Parts: sequence; structure tokens; C-alpha cells
Amino acid sequence: MPHLSASRREALNFYLCISPWLAGLLIFVLGPMLVSLGISFTRWDLLSPPRFVGLRNYERMLGDPLFWQSLKVTAIYTMLYVPTELVGGLALALLMNQRVPGIAVFRTIFYLPSVISGVAFVVVWMWIFHPEAGLLNLALAQVGIDGPRWLTDPHTALSALWMMSLWGLGRAAVIYLAGLKGVPKELHEAAIIDGANAWQAFRHVTIPLITPTIFFNLVLSLIATFQTFTSAFVATNGGPLDSTLFFVLYLYRQAFERFSMGYAAALAWVLLLIILALTLLVVRSSDRWVYYEGARR
Amino acid sequence: MISSSLKPDYAIFAVPPQLIPNPPRWANYPEALTFVPFGRYTLNTLLISAVTIVGHLLSCTVVAYAFARLRAPGRDALFLVVLATMMLPYPVTMVPLYVLFRALGWINTFLPLTVPAFFGSPLYIFLLRQFFLTLPTDLEDAARIDGANTAQIIWHVILPLSRPALATVAIFTFQTSWNDFLAPLIYLQNPQNYTVTLGLQFFRTSYTTSWGYLMAAALITMLPVVIVFLLAQRLFIEGIAMTGVKG
Amino acid sequence: MQRPLLQHASFAILLTTLASILAACSGAANSPPPAPVERTVVVERTVVVAQTVEVPREVVVTPTAAPQAADAKIVLRVGTGDSGEGLTPHLTIIEQFEKENPDIQVQLEPVGSGDYYARILTQIAAGDPPDILQIGDDAVPNFVSKGAFVDLAPFIASNENPLDTGIYLPGVLEPGQWEGKQYLLPKDFSPLAVYYNKKLFDQYKIPYPTDGWTWDDFLQTAQALTKDTNGDGKTDVWGVQLPGPWTTGFEYWVAAAGGRLISEDGTTFTGYLDSPETATAVQFYADLYHKYKVAPPPADLNAFGGGNSEFDSGKAALRLFGRWPQSGLKTNPNIDLGVVGPPVGAKRANVLFWGGFGISAISKHQDAAWRFLRYYVGAQGAEVWKDWALPTVKSVAEASGQASDPIEGVWIGELNHLAPRAYVSTPYWGATADPALRKVLEQVIIDPNTDVAAALKTAAADAQAAMADQQ
Repeated sequence: MPHLSASRREALNFYLCISPWLAGLLIFVLGPMLVSLGISFTRWDLLSPPRFVGLRNYERMLGDPLFWQSLKVTAIYTMLYVPTELVGGLALALLMNQRVPGIAVFRTIFYLPSVISGVAFVVVWMWIFHPEAGLLNLALAQVGIDGPRWLTDPHTALSALWMMSLWGLGRAAVIYLAGLKGVPKELHEAAIIDGANAWQAFRHVTIPLITPTIFFNLVLSLIATFQTFTSAFVATNGGPLDSTLFFVLYLYRQAFERFSMGYAAALAWVLLLIILALTLLVVRSSDRWVYYEGARR
Repeated sequence: MISSSLKPDYAIFAVPPQLIPNPPRWANYPEALTFVPFGRYTLNTLLISAVTIVGHLLSCTVVAYAFARLRAPGRDALFLVVLATMMLPYPVTMVPLYVLFRALGWINTFLPLTVPAFFGSPLYIFLLRQFFLTLPTDLEDAARIDGANTAQIIWHVILPLSRPALATVAIFTFQTSWNDFLAPLIYLQNPQNYTVTLGLQFFRTSYTTSWGYLMAAALITMLPVVIVFLLAQRLFIEGIAMTGVKG
Repeated sequence: MQRPLLQHASFAILLTTLASILAACSGAANSPPPAPVERTVVVERTVVVAQTVEVPREVVVTPTAAPQAADAKIVLRVGTGDSGEGLTPHLTIIEQFEKENPDIQVQLEPVGSGDYYARILTQIAAGDPPDILQIGDDAVPNFVSKGAFVDLAPFIASNENPLDTGIYLPGVLEPGQWEGKQYLLPKDFSPLAVYYNKKLFDQYKIPYPTDGWTWDDFLQTAQALTKDTNGDGKTDVWGVQLPGPWTTGFEYWVAAAGGRLISEDGTTFTGYLDSPETATAVQFYADLYHKYKVAPPPADLNAFGGGNSEFDSGKAALRLFGRWPQSGLKTNPNIDLGVVGPPVGAKRANVLFWGGFGISAISKHQDAAWRFLRYYVGAQGAEVWKDWALPTVKSVAEASGQASDPIEGVWIGELNHLAPRAYVSTPYWGATADPALRKVLEQVIIDPNTDVAAALKTAAADAQAAMADQQ
């Protein structure tokens, strides 16, 4: 292609290769997103036609204590969960990465909990958190501690959900595992030969090489945690006393239980802005700490 | 769970809990499986999952490669758009999406659950992009000098190095569409077309739940995911060897 | 030998499929200028669209159930929130109906549990609901007032397919009405009652509760059956398992105390939700947990039963609830089951839970839908329902012996004591008083020192403010 400069050809190639996604964006994603933005300026009960109300839904949030409560719950949970997933997931991945006999079974066992679907999962945890007969409180009683009432105590319910979420670590670990597999063994071995101990080699060779994976897990868990829904929906339904009222749970309730789709849509767009702002912060900072072996700028 | 799946309902939340059911109620298994046509639902779900996996692997690989390697104006902004499409909670796009799929005549078919996969998923585009960015560029540069085009580079250079990441995408896709609840709930109307998660919901009514059946059915329907994981995770082991050879 | 083969096979498939899209992608890249940017996508898309777009068009072209070819059946869609075994009666009735009405085919679309409303609301919003919809009494005012259902009066009074509404048991038609018109017809119902475990009563030689017992009798019975059997200072057998912060069931206590939760015109909470009668009810309920300690603390505040299972385990003597778990309780070896009406406070009262069917206002097959609905909820249908739930038709209840059965007779008899339901008098109950009352109940259950009157005052103010916001 002599008449096209190399950089133009590369750009053309880029747009060609992302064309499936672009088309999907235009067909399936953008329309519904824009419609929901439009809905956020209306009052709509889903049964009768929507009514335009301007910015009223957004103004309503400011004076809605449950909006602030759900934001607070979600923020606290995110601060608890995201670091746990980053560190815990990596630790689990390192375990799964060992080359010992039976590792396949071991990996599967650790991944298993994240496979169990909603309802069954919650029943297992009701067994664990049951105030009188739960495994957790029976274990605590063995060491002389009178355990709390977990899911029925507003002070402990959110922590209990956090503990439940640790079961999903297997998912993050699998992503780390894929990242760890991309680290050439030679580099690690070379560092050891140069006199580094195992920790130093891990810290200075492995970690920098998997920063793209860490970045991925960080951004993704931010996006996902802010949208936590199922565990609260099934296990506590936001209670007791709204102590586990997650943002998206509140939004779902507004949409389908309180018949305020307009308000729900406004809540959704505020959530999008919050997550987007946080993601941008992480993306901006990534220049300083994420190392891309193969970046081409 | 296994323990609960073998109990009559009244014993499941007994205080104190019985770890070993006495006597075990094996009948929960055959009864749960005849109660709801899980054979049919499993086939439906397998079909949806398989098509979705193919769709994701095809589209996400190419799109992610472009975001990782090809330079173009607007690339970074578009990548933020990829991320942003994950940030709007599903409940508020549900109704417009339904209207869209209805206009296409796709309601009560598997199309709403499978076709979008061929247009890429932001999650897996992001995942693969991150992975591709960790691969050294030397091999590609060499291939390019030898006159390889983009397709040949993805095919001969990137793919062989990416097995762990592709396996991850396949596993996650499988699990996600296996456990997906809301989308089948909204788009599938005829019980013939239901998926496994919708079937599991049959054990709950507004006021009562058949816990024993639910547990038995949940365990059985988990099996395919476990098997897929067991098979796919072997690709992780291979990943090491490949890197060793090429690197 | 198997392993690599399998891997290679699957990997080869993966690569081949990938290759096809890549070929399109880069092939286009090499053949320069008018590069069809969307080539790969467009191919897929047009194929699918071309196939499918015709389907809705057909529907639009032939909108009404005009006489068609002899083999063209009308397909009726029926949405239900029932699931599992609960579907058997639906399917049985449908089968019978289709045999007698070969021109109609009925497609049942079940969704278990709470997600049912998310689905039908989405379908209604998109203009694509089932022809016949099942909803609960609490949803009737909202759906009906927003025009989701057709008024059944013309159908009921029609010459061809009339329905005699005098066949029903007392109180089961009213929840399907709004502003005096009948929009839904009853499928099944349950009042509240108290289950009791005769085994525990016999063991501790306590007389069984009898119809017309009072709150005092209830409390004394519960106290007499609350036991610390091993002397460790912890209660092992409880007097009564209560349904936690279950707001819709709680209305019984308020009605029995002589109060109500909302004004008769369905607009006002202040003076009702915070009345002294409501306070008496909440205080008594809270005292059962904290002061008299006859009720086990809830293990989980989410589930309807308060997540408690003491009654099922034979560790609680009484349980206040609806009829839904009864068949399981009857076969439970820990229990020898008895049922009695809820105790009488200042008044005798009970509340009804109800499910019914209506015809969608935008159904294109309303006449066919009526033919089926009439059968579904009429005497023929009731003959089938009676084996699964309480029949709504009086003659069926009597002929089956259920009206005089020592257990089923109690449920049917309770229909004579129904108090008016707060949530059937306003479309906004779920957005106003329900969350406010729930909060009060959670508060008093969690914190024994709650000031009940003050909490109710706040709740009534919150509910009233939310109501103002709805107008």
C-alpha cells in the first residue's frame, strides 16, 4: 500500500479490528444507554406513559437519606473489598501456581465457590452465620467468644457480607494466574542467580511484570463492587435497618418495587459518573506504576 | 451443600445442624430432576454458553489486540468508552433492550443471549488487552519485517502465547452464561427454552422453598462448570511450556 | 493419549473460528480505499435481521383474532409467579381447556418468586405482556389504576360466556376490585392462622388452643411452652415462632388491636400508622420477643418466616403464618399439626393474602382470554385447584369436605373475620408505608429499648411525606 503512510494504515487497521465492538456499541449498547439517560429526566412507573420532569429526579437525591445511606454502604464495602481482592486474589493465585502433583484438583477446589449460583450460595452462608447454630458462632464459642448475630445485627451485617464475598476470590485468582503464566521463568531464575532471595525476586521481577493484571483487577473490582447486588438481594435484602442497602439494590427497588423507573435511571447515571471518576483516577495514576512490556505509544 | 441436598426440608435448618444427614434422603436427586426438566434446560444452557464462548473468543481477541498494539487517533478515548459501558447498572437498560430485541423479533429465542457476544464484551476486551500488553513486541516486529499482516501476527504470534488468557475468557464466559439469571428471565418466555438458573428458581415460591431439591439440583447443575474448569485449567500448565520455548 | 487429543481438537476449533474473522479483518485492510469498515459485522447482522424482522410484521398485519385458517390456533400467553409443583394445577386446567376448546392454545410462562414482577413490568413497558397475568392483591391498585388490566364487567355479564360471581366464598372477590369494578378474578388465597404442634402440647400437658382464644390466652400458652429443658440458662423450646418484620402479615395485629394503618380513603397515614392502637400492637409484638421472651430471635430478617425454623424442628409450639407451608408441616415427623384462628385482641380480625388473574389491557385476544379465564377461575378450575390450595368456589369447598375439615375448615372459616387491607386502598403502599413500617418492626426486634410511640410517629411522617411525593 504505497500510497498510504504507515501510520494511517495502522490507524485504519485499528478501526477495522475494533469494528465488531463499535458496531455492537451502536446496535446494542448506546441506544439503551441513551434511552435510560432520557428516562432519568422523567417520572415513569412502567405502566403508564413517562412524564418529563426535568432535573427533579437528580434534585430528589440530595434530600433522600436512603440515597446517601446506600452510597455510604457501597463506599465502605468497596474500601473493604477491593484491597482484599487485590491481595487475597494474588496470594491465592501464587498458591494455585505451584507445580505440585494434584494441583489441578486444588485449583478447582479453590475456584469452586465462585461457581455456585445465587440461592444455593446463600443457604450455605445462612448455615455459617446462623446466630445460634451457625458454624462460625459454634467455632467462636469453642474459644470462649460469644459471637454476634451477624446478618441480623446492623453493626455486623455488612462485615458478614464482606466475609461472604471472599468466596469469590477464586475468580480474581484465576485472572492473576493467567498473568503469572505470562511471566517468563527465565527472568525469575536470573534474579535468583544474581543473588536475590525469593521475596526480592517476587517483589522486583514478578510484581512489575504483572502490574497490568493488577491494574485490570483493580479497575474491574471497582466497577463490579460499586454494582454489588446479588448477595445483598438474596441474603439480607438491604437490612437490617438499611445497613446493607447497596446502591444498585436501592436502584432495583426503585425501578421494580416502588415503580420509579425515572428515579432509578437517574441513580444509575450518578453511579456511572462516580465509577467513571474513580476509574479515571486509577487510569491516570497507572502511568506511574503499571509496566507494559509490549506498550506501543 | 452436599449435606443439605440429602435432607428432607424440615431438617435443613435444624438446630443444631446435622452434618451427616440421618438417614440420607437420596430421593431428593431423582425427584428434583423429574420435578423440573433439567435435561432440556441443560441442553439449552450448554448451547447458549458454547455459542457465547465462540463469540467472545472471536471478537474480543481481535478488538483487544487492536487496543493493545495498534496506534490510532482516538484509541485511548475509545478504550475509556469500553470501560464506561460496564458502569451502567443493568436494571435501567433492561426495558430499552427488551424493546430493541422485540423490534428485532428476537424475544423468546436464544439470539438476545448469544448474538451480542459476537460484538465483543468490554470485560474480556479489557482482560485480553491487558494480557497482550505484557507480551514482548520483538517477535511481532520480526514478523512484521518479514511482511506478515495483522491477521498473520495475531494467528502466528499472539495466539500461541495467549492460551492462559484465552482459557480464562472461555472459563469466565461459560460460567457467566451458565449462571446468568436476569437475561434469560426477561427474554425467554416459553418454558421449553428456559435455562438451568430459571429451572432452579422453580424450587422457590413466594412463601416457601424446597431447600432439599434446590440443593440437589444446584449441585448437579454445577457439575458442568467444574468439568469445564478442570479441562480448561490444563491450558495454564501449557502456557508455561510455550512461553519457555518461545521466550 | 486422550488428553492432548481433546485439547488440540478444541484449540483447533478455536483457532479456525478466529482465523475466519481475522481473514475478513485483515483482508479488508490489504485491499485499500473503500474498505467496508463493517464487513464482518454487517454480514452477520443482515442475515439475522432479514430472517426475523418479518415475524413481528406478520403479527402487526393480522392484529385481531380474526377468523383464520382452520388450523391457525390462537396462542394465549399466561404469566404466573407460581413455580415447581405449583404449576401442576395450571397445566392440568390448561390441558382440559385445550381439549374442550381446540381453537385455543395456552402457553404458560412461569417465573418463580420475586423476579416475576421485574419481568412482567418490563414486558408491559415494552408493550409485550402475556394476555393473562397473575398478580398479588398488593399489586392490584397500582397495576389497575395505571390501566394495565381490562374491566371484566362486560365479559362477566356477556350473553355468550357469562360468569356467576355468586359462586365464590365471602371476601375472595374484593381484592380483585378497584374503585368498584372487577379487574381480576381469584386464583387462590390464604388468611393467617396459628399452627400448633400437638406433640409439645401433649408432652407438657397444656390444653390445645381453641377458636376465639384471646391475646392473653395466646401469651399464657406461649409462656407455658417456653422451656429450658437442660437447665443451661438458654431456651430450648419456644412458645411461638413469629414471622419477624413481615409488614403485610403484621396488619393482623393492628386490626386485632382495633386500629388500621391507613385512612379509609387511602390517603392518610398520620393518625393511623401512629395511632395508640397501632402502638399497642407493636408493643405486644415486641414484648413477645423481649419482655416475655417466648419467641426465638430472628435468625435472618430477610426471609418471610424471619428465617426461623424452630417450629419445623419441633422446637416451637406455635407458629403464626399463612397456609403456604402447610403440606410440608403435615408430613413433617417432628410435628403433629393443629391449626387455630389467630387470637382475638380488642377485636377479632384477620387479613387475607390473595392472588388472581386479569386480562391485559393491550391483549389482542381478549375474547379468547376471557373464555380461558372464565374456565381457569370458575367451577371447573376450582375442581383442580382444590387439591393444591383452598378453593375459591363455595360449592367446591363444601363438596370436597374442606369446609368442614378440622384444619382446612379453620382457614375457610377465617374468611368471616377479614379486616380491610391497607394496601388495597392505595396504589402507593409499597413506596410509602411499607418501608416505614418495616423499619419500625426491625427496630423493635433488634433493640428492646425502642420508644414505640416515637418510632411510629416518625414512620407515619415519613410515609406521609412519601405519599405527598407520589401525587
